[in-house]
Amino acid sequence: MDSWSERHYGATLRFPAMAKTMTTSGLEAVFLENRAALLRFLRARGAGDHAEDLLQEMWIKASAGASGPIADPLAYLYRAANNLMLDRRRAELRGQKRDHDWHDVSGDSLGISESPGGERVLIAREQLQAVEEALRALGERTDFVFRRFRVEGQSQRDIADELGISLSAVEKHLQKAYRALIELRRRFDAG
Amino acid sequence: MTDRDVQRIEEEAIAWVVRLRDAGADDWEAFTGWLEADAAHQHAYDEAALADLDAADLAPAPRPVQPAWTPAEAPAYRPNRRRFLGWGGGAVAAAVAGLVAYTTIPAGAALYAVETGPGEHRRIDLADGSRIDLNGGTRIQLDRNNARFASLEQGEALFTVVHDEARPFEVEAAGAQMRDLGTVFNVVAERGAVEVGVSEGRVLFDPRGVAVDLSPGMSLRRAAATARPVVARVEPDAIGGWRAGRLSYRSASVAQVASDLSRNLGVAVRASPPVARQNFTGVIMLDADKGTAVRRAASLLGVSASRAGDGWLLTVGSSGTP
Repeated sequence: MDSWSERHYGATLRFPAMAKTMTTSGLEAVFLENRAALLRFLRARGAGDHAEDLLQEMWIKASAGASGPIADPLAYLYRAANNLMLDRRRAELRGQKRDHDWHDVSGDSLGISESPGGERVLIAREQLQAVEEALRALGERTDFVFRRFRVEGQSQRDIADELGISLSAVEKHLQKAYRALIELRRRFDAG
Repeated sequence: MTDRDVQRIEEEAIAWVVRLRDAGADDWEAFTGWLEADAAHQHAYDEAALADLDAADLAPAPRPVQPAWTPAEAPAYRPNRRRFLGWGGGAVAAAVAGLVAYTTIPAGAALYAVETGPGEHRRIDLADGSRIDLNGGTRIQLDRNNARFASLEQGEALFTVVHDEARPFEVEAAGAQMRDLGTVFNVVAERGAVEVGVSEGRVLFDPRGVAVDLSPGMSLRRAAATARPVVARVEPDAIGGWRAGRLSYRSASVAQVASDLSRNLGVAVRASPPVARQNFTGVIMLDADKGTAVRRAASLLGVSASRAGDGWLLTVGSSGTP
């Protein structure tokens, strides 16, 4: 066989999983084996009585999304469960805020797009700009460290080496940046 | 609870957000323990994690604090470093390249963003005659002061570039740089992964690092900034077919097709686990309304499509109406 698998790509140029380390059935075995631990995690994340249903939903999403090699399948499942809880929390907050906004300004005369998608894009843009400003206000160093870590995905070690500072200094910059973003989010949710 | 407790919990929650980015299973177990230790932990973590998500679309660090080289000293790219060199050498070069801080966004750039909503297509004509076609759910940054630069932050774009030897067109996506050598090429940026497929001409991937030279019918995928790029063969004519609503596949998984349908139609299409890994070869035309397009695609895929919330779920069985 050719050293690269043959495939037509239409719309998107996705790649065949060439080095599959985990098949769906393999992932399923890990899932079943660690069901109790994942359930416990979902409960600790606030799933309450819905933990069983959410575990099922997580599995459907996680198994459908698993197209490439998965190095650490259990960590992958934990992450999927965590993302699910975050999505729910975010949707909940968004719903609350929308209700709140609609009460404040009787809706229809606003100059915002009527489609929820358009509205969300507007809110997201506004929010992103606020994040940019908040980070800039923290100073160049903190801004730089945070972007290297969060956007470019560099390790703390690499950032420390690049800037010639200690690992704990990197941690302090990250703490400072995250604190500011949490503060910003509180204002945004309240506003 | 004292203010000091609140502060300590917030600090711990942030530390968890940072640690969980590259967490293994044992980190997640430790995290479970931390959550269970105090009812306040869960809320503090949610706040920190949502704040983290707010920063998901930020631009990369503006410029290196201590540039390892000035542009004048920057080594010229090496067109002879062909892909056939083998990946061993390439990986070493990439590791070395990773040590130097460099970004293609110049200090004097005046960036502006163009976005498409789900399912929306948009064409951008640049001052130099080049053209960029955006697929749905895409965000791209362009530079008012430099028509030869684009940064694809999210989504998919087809570049039809007017070649200029003196001023190569540069595209940045998911932390990767690509340089055109006279070209029509397609780029996808999604969750840190970047994929480029060349239809005409040539593209140099990571010109300052591994410098992989891609010719028509080749595509390259890098799953993450730290991952090794993998090259595959594609059908040059099929690249960018999404503009005409045509998706072509050979041995693609149903999960992949579902994800493409989502992007192109602007409606969530998911594949249930039993069908997700089924293979599909063929061409799907998206020339009808969303519901009809999904049902027709399902019939070609040999699966059944049913409504699930706002979107569609593909499951076992054949759909009756094509």
